[in-house]
Amino acid sequence: MKDTNVIEGIQTMTQQKISAKNVQVRYGDVVAIKDVSVDIAANTVTAFIGPSGCGKSTFLRCLNRMNDTIDICRVTGDIHIDDEDIYDRNVDPVQLRAKVGMVFQKPNPFPKSIFDNVAYGPKIHGLARNQSDMADIVENALRKAALWNEVKDRLDSPGTGLSGGQQQRLCIARAIATAPEILLMDEPCSALDPIATAQIEELIDDLRQNYCVVIVTHSMQQAARISQKTAFFHLGSLVEYGDTGQIFTAPSDPRTESYITGRIG
Amino acid sequence: MTMSKQSLLVRDERTTRRNAAEVRFRTYGLCAIGIAAMALVVLLTTVVSSGVGAFRQTYIMLEIALPEAKLDVMGTRDPAVMAKVTTFGYAPMLRDALLNKLAEQEITTSLSDKDVAGMISKEAVATVRNHVLANPDLVGGTVTLDVLAEGRIDGYFKGRVTMQSAGLDRNTSPEALQIAQSLADAGVIETRFNWHFLTAPDASDQRPEAAGLGVAILGSLYMMLVVLVLALPIGVAASIYLEEFAPKNRLSDLIEVNISNLAAVPSIVFGILGLAIFINFAGLRQSSPLVGGLVLTLMTLPTIIISTRAALKSVPPSIRDAALGVGASKMQSVFHHVLPLAAPGILTGTIIGLAQALGETAPLLLIGMVAFVREYPAPYSETAGLFGEAATALPVQVFNWTQRADPGFAERASGAIITLLVFLAVMNIAAVLLRRRFERRW
Repeated sequence: MKDTNVIEGIQTMTQQKISAKNVQVRYGDVVAIKDVSVDIAANTVTAFIGPSGCGKSTFLRCLNRMNDTIDICRVTGDIHIDDEDIYDRNVDPVQLRAKVGMVFQKPNPFPKSIFDNVAYGPKIHGLARNQSDMADIVENALRKAALWNEVKDRLDSPGTGLSGGQQQRLCIARAIATAPEILLMDEPCSALDPIATAQIEELIDDLRQNYCVVIVTHSMQQAARISQKTAFFHLGSLVEYGDTGQIFTAPSDPRTESYITGRIG
Repeated sequence: MTMSKQSLLVRDERTTRRNAAEVRFRTYGLCAIGIAAMALVVLLTTVVSSGVGAFRQTYIMLEIALPEAKLDVMGTRDPAVMAKVTTFGYAPMLRDALLNKLAEQEITTSLSDKDVAGMISKEAVATVRNHVLANPDLVGGTVTLDVLAEGRIDGYFKGRVTMQSAGLDRNTSPEALQIAQSLADAGVIETRFNWHFLTAPDASDQRPEAAGLGVAILGSLYMMLVVLVLALPIGVAASIYLEEFAPKNRLSDLIEVNISNLAAVPSIVFGILGLAIFINFAGLRQSSPLVGGLVLTLMTLPTIIISTRAALKSVPPSIRDAALGVGASKMQSVFHHVLPLAAPGILTGTIIGLAQALGETAPLLLIGMVAFVREYPAPYSETAGLFGEAATALPVQVFNWTQRADPGFAERASGAIITLLVFLAVMNIAAVLLRRRFERRW
């Protein structure tokens, strides 16, 4: 926790990337998120913690409008990315999702080759002019995802044949291949063993240089290890949001304290 | 109640009862499978034993003299002129040819010449006439041709007709069979594999030996083409829309329920629909493979839609999320990722739907495909349009033949069933192979 305190100093200077105001999400008649307002800074790892069903994943999925795919889901309130309303009628979610990449809970590579997995995003967004361009993009993305050395000799073999941790890093490579500015991660390590988890955590810390990373996690230790900012969700509302060090050492809300000390959740 | 210490080596009463129940259940299962397997074996052996004869046919090798005086009086060798001699004109030549054979083999008989000529199929005269008209230069010489033996003679060599049954039959006699046996011993009569059964058109009630499945196979093939071309794209497009794009509301629920119900509608209802709409209203030609194909398309669509939707549903949602997450549009995620993964299921469903359509009889009866058709239908003609010429279909041909009096047709019907089963088996094997092939792509 000492590390995070050191980083805090840098992070106060960074500008804010995502700004959410009074966000409310309903699934039919059920309110999943109540009036959440939060500002997320660029080049920061922001962790969402909270007990199961508290709405942290739902909120995360609002940030790239993945909730649009659920018929009964209604989102109200304002979410701005770089001062642009992402729920504006003129915003095409397809463009938004190229800018806001997402990594899911379970590694979900396409049943295609490793190369095609990473190349798919750049291909549909027309990011590569030719074959060698594409090869560069793929190599870059795999390098950033710390997977290049393990797979460079077998880019044609199926992505589904990799180990769980490798698959998840492949999914991260796939997400960063479209050159997003924000990376959303929905419990990316929950299906992985401790070693793979450590690799991914290290990777997330590196990714902070270039991306605004928002991560949902069940593990408080993980949040403490990798994030600079932490938001605690409980029963659909944002209870407390602040610097990670402060949340874990001196929470201001009694519910936060109960949760991090293991009394609720 | 005291809990006495129970040894693990002794089974208590509960365990014994549970084990007995399990053994009983397994026995029931084995019995069920045994009964099913036995029924299948009985079915197949009956069909094969009564139908395998249709694939063999008895021929008589005749050297037929073709006198110019009878066939081409003017000496023009012009088929158009020679066509004036009808099949009746050819009958005596065949009779003489067979009588010559008998004399050659020194077979004497008490049968009249007419009865001897009766051993040759009535179809043979037409065969010879067509052969002569196609090769006019043969006139004036002698031609050696294998002509069909009459159905009873044919039946004798396949074991269907015996001396006893021939004695009771007005159409043949034990003497004729004896002659046939002597001719067979001399190598004049021969029973061999019958390609004609698969290629020849249907024949009239009197000549089961000449009847074939050519028109029926062609008709079925045309209909399958129509069904494939219409039902596959419409069915797959409808399922993709319903499964991936349509909003889930009362209307889509209603459509879904109706599609499931349509799959259970008796097929003859589709026949009435086809009769009313395609023939009476739209004015398409009856008995045509086009109308048959349209009716079968309607019948197959629910099957294809249901299996395609099931295949689409079985694609894990995480794949859709992954595609949408990197910024693919809904359509890209469906066509790039979901559809290829669902392809094996869709293919299997389609082929099963086609197989179902191939074996369907009832709706075809209503749109006139039960007609007696001897002309091979052309895929396209000026007057009838695409797939518009009258045809029959395999199952209808079976239905047709089972209704005829001559026992020769019973054998043909079983042969047609074997053919149908072979086609169905081939389609199902193709479904399995295609499925394997597509699934192997990791």
